[in-house]
Amino acid sequence: MNFSFTEDQALLRSSVRSALDEQCKTDHVRAMMDDRLGYGEPLWSEMAKLGWLGLPFPEQYGGAGLGLVELAIVLEEMGRVAYPGPFFSTVVLGGLTLLLNGSDAQKERWLSAIASGRSRLTAALQEDSLDWDPASTTATAAKAGAGWTLSGTKRFVPWAHVADAVLVPARAPEGLSLFLVNPKAPGVTLTPTRGMDLTTRWFTLKLDGVSVGADALVGAAGGAGSLLESALRRAAVGASAEMLGAARRCLDMSVEYAKVREQFGQLIGSFQAIRHKCAEMLMEVENSHSAVYYAAWALEAGAEDAAMAASVAKSYVSESARRVCGESIQAHGGIGFTWEYDLHLYFKRAKSLEVMFGDAEYHRELIARLVAA
Amino acid sequence: MDLNYTPEDIAFRKSVRAWLEANLPRAPLKTLDERRAWHRRLYEAGYLGMGWPKEFGGGGARPMEQAIVADEMARANAPAPTNGLGLGIVGPTIVVHGSDAQKARYLKKILTAEEMWCQLYSEPNAGSDLASLKTSAEDRGDHFAINGQKIWTSGGKVADWGLLLARTDTKVPKHRGITCFLISMRQPGVDVRPLKQITGSSEFCEVFMTNARVEKPDQIGKLGEGWAIANTTLGYERGGRSLARVTSYASQYHRLVAAAKKLRRHGQPLAESPVVRQKLGRIWAELEVERYNALRVLTQLERGEHPGAGGSLTKLSYSEFEKRFNELALEILGPYGQLTEGAPAELGLEIDTAVGEQGTWAYAYLWSRAGTIYAGSSEIQKNVIGERILGLPKEARADRAGVTR
Repeated sequence: MNFSFTEDQALLRSSVRSALDEQCKTDHVRAMMDDRLGYGEPLWSEMAKLGWLGLPFPEQYGGAGLGLVELAIVLEEMGRVAYPGPFFSTVVLGGLTLLLNGSDAQKERWLSAIASGRSRLTAALQEDSLDWDPASTTATAAKAGAGWTLSGTKRFVPWAHVADAVLVPARAPEGLSLFLVNPKAPGVTLTPTRGMDLTTRWFTLKLDGVSVGADALVGAAGGAGSLLESALRRAAVGASAEMLGAARRCLDMSVEYAKVREQFGQLIGSFQAIRHKCAEMLMEVENSHSAVYYAAWALEAGAEDAAMAASVAKSYVSESARRVCGESIQAHGGIGFTWEYDLHLYFKRAKSLEVMFGDAEYHRELIARLVAA
Repeated sequence: MDLNYTPEDIAFRKSVRAWLEANLPRAPLKTLDERRAWHRRLYEAGYLGMGWPKEFGGGGARPMEQAIVADEMARANAPAPTNGLGLGIVGPTIVVHGSDAQKARYLKKILTAEEMWCQLYSEPNAGSDLASLKTSAEDRGDHFAINGQKIWTSGGKVADWGLLLARTDTKVPKHRGITCFLISMRQPGVDVRPLKQITGSSEFCEVFMTNARVEKPDQIGKLGEGWAIANTTLGYERGGRSLARVTSYASQYHRLVAAAKKLRRHGQPLAESPVVRQKLGRIWAELEVERYNALRVLTQLERGEHPGAGGSLTKLSYSEFEKRFNELALEILGPYGQLTEGAPAELGLEIDTAVGEQGTWAYAYLWSRAGTIYAGSSEIQKNVIGERILGLPKEARADRAGVTR
C-alpha cells in the first residue's frame, strides 16, 4: 500500500510543469482563444518530443509505456494552465480507446502516428439527447458490401476540425458498434460551435450516408456497449484530473492574492472570512486529489472497484472544482471578474469538463446502481 | 503509487479476522469488568499498543498493522477496548515526552487496563482558546497543588489517572506558561461530576480540583512545555483509526439502503426514487473519498512522517462528513430515525453499545454534532489550515502578546 508518487512520477510532474510554464503561458492560451485552429503546432511537436503524446502507449508504437496515473499527472498539469489543444481528445478519447479495443493494424496505424505527433484523433460520444449512456445511441450503420454506411448527428465533438479520425458509435444490424471515420470523407459535415470556454473547441458532426470500409470497425460488431463504458470511465477520470488542476490553480492564486491584498488596513488573508474559505477550498482540492489518483490507479490496475472509483472521482471533482474555481473569483472580488485577470480561464475550463462524460448526477446514479441496487 | 495491500498485510488481516471470529464476545458486554476482560484479551493477542516500544509492553508494529486491526474490529462490530484515552492520547504522550521512569511506571498498566485514564484539558472558559486555561499548578516544594475546574473530561467517572494541563507561570505569554502533568483522580481534592449532554447520556464529566496533589516525578516534559506537548499529541492515532471509521460507516450505510428499500413514498420504495438515489450516491462517494484519504494518511505514517497540520484537513473533512451522513440517515428514516426506544430491530445500528451509546440512529445523529467541536472545532481547524498549510497571515488578535492573569 503506497498512496504517494514514485520518484519518476514526481519527476514527470515537475518536467511537465516547467515545460508548460515555459511554453503555455497565459499569453499563449489567450492567443489560441482567438486562433483559427485553437492550438499551437510548435507546442504539439514539443509534446511529441517530450513523449507526452505517446505516454500511455506501449513502446512498440513509439510510446513511453506508462500508465493512467502518469497520464493523470500530465492532465492535471494541463488543467492547471488551461492548455488549449487536442491532447485530451487525441490521447484519452482516441488513443486509449484504440489501445484497449483496436486491432493490431489499427494500433499500428494510429498509436504510432499519435505518439509521433503526426495524427490527432477524437471521439463523438454525444448526440442531441445528451445522454452519456451508450445504449441511447441513435446514429446508424447500414451494411454496404464489406463495409458500412453511417448516418446520424453527433454533438460536442471536441477538436474534430483538426482530427484525422473520429471514433463514432452507431447502431449496426449486429448492435451498437464503434467505427473510425475520416472527418474529411464525403458526407461528413462539421459545424463549429462557440462555447464560453474558448480554450476548447466543440463541433457538431453530421454523417449523411458516410461510407467506411471493413477495417473501420473497432472491436467486434455489436460489441461497443462495454467498450464505450470503459472508454467513458477513462475519459471521466482524465477530465477529473484536468478539473483538479484548474481548481488547484484557482486556490493557489487566491492564497497568493490574500497575502498581498489589503482592505481595512489589513491583508485580507488575515480575515477568517477569507482564510476559512481558502481552507475549505484546500480541503476540497485535496479530497479531489485523493479521488482522481485513486481512480487512475484503480483503472490501471483493473481493481475490483475501478468503475466505482471512476464515478466517485467524476461526481466529486465535478462539483468541487466548480465550487473552488467559483470561490476563487469571490475571494478576489472585482478583479476576479475581469477578462484581463486569468481566473476565468480555469473557471470556464472546469465548467466545460463538469458536464462532459457524465456530470455529477449521472455518476451518482451509477454509484447508486453499484452500491444500492 | 500502488494501492494493493502487500501479501504480508493480507495474511495479517486474515489472521486478525480469524482471531476475532474465535474470540469475539458472544453477548454484549455490560459491566466495566467484562469490558476490562475483553480489553486484556485484545492486549494479550497483541492488538493494543501495537506501535508502542516493546520494552514497555508495546508491539513495535507498523501503522498499517494497527490500521488493519482497527479495521477488522470495525468490520466484526467488535467492542472497543475500554481505556480509549489511555491508548489514544496518554500512552503516546508518555512514549514521546515521558521519562524512562514514567514509561516503566504507567505504560504497561494502560495496556492492561489496570489503570484507566482521562484527559483534563478544556475548561469552561478555555474551549477553542485552550491556551487561556486558568487551572493552576503551584509548586509546594515536594509536590504541585492543583486548583481549578476542567470540563469535557470523557471517562472521568471511571478514571484512575488524568493527563492534566495546568498553568505554572502567569507572567509569560499564555502559551508558554502551561505545564503537562499526570494526576491521580483517586484523591480527596478531586471531585468528578457527570455532565449530561444533548444525547441524554453522560460520557463526559466536569472535574473540580481543590488543592489536589501532583507528585513531582509526575511532571511530563519541562515547565512551560505543556502547550507544545499537547499540540503534538492531540492528533495521535488519528490516522490509525481512520480506515476503521470508514468501515463502520459503510456497514451503517448498507443498513440504511436496506431501510430505503422497505420505506415507501408515493407508493414507491425510497430506494427507487431518483432523488433519494442521488443522495445515497453522493454520500457513498463522500465515504469513498474519506477511505482514499485514510490510505493517504496511512502511507505517510508508514513512511514515518507525522501528518502535522495535515491532520487538521483530515479531521475537518471527516467530521463534517459524519454530520452529513447522519443528517441523510434521519431524512430517509423519517420519524423511525428519531426513536431512542421502540425502533424496529432492522433499524438498529451495528455499534458497540456498552459505553452508554445507544445503538440507534437518533443517538448517532446527536453524537455527530460533537465531532466538529471536540479536539479543535472546524473553525479552529480552518485557522490552522490557513496559517500553517497555506501560510496566510495571522489575524490581528488582542491576546497575541498578552499575559494571562
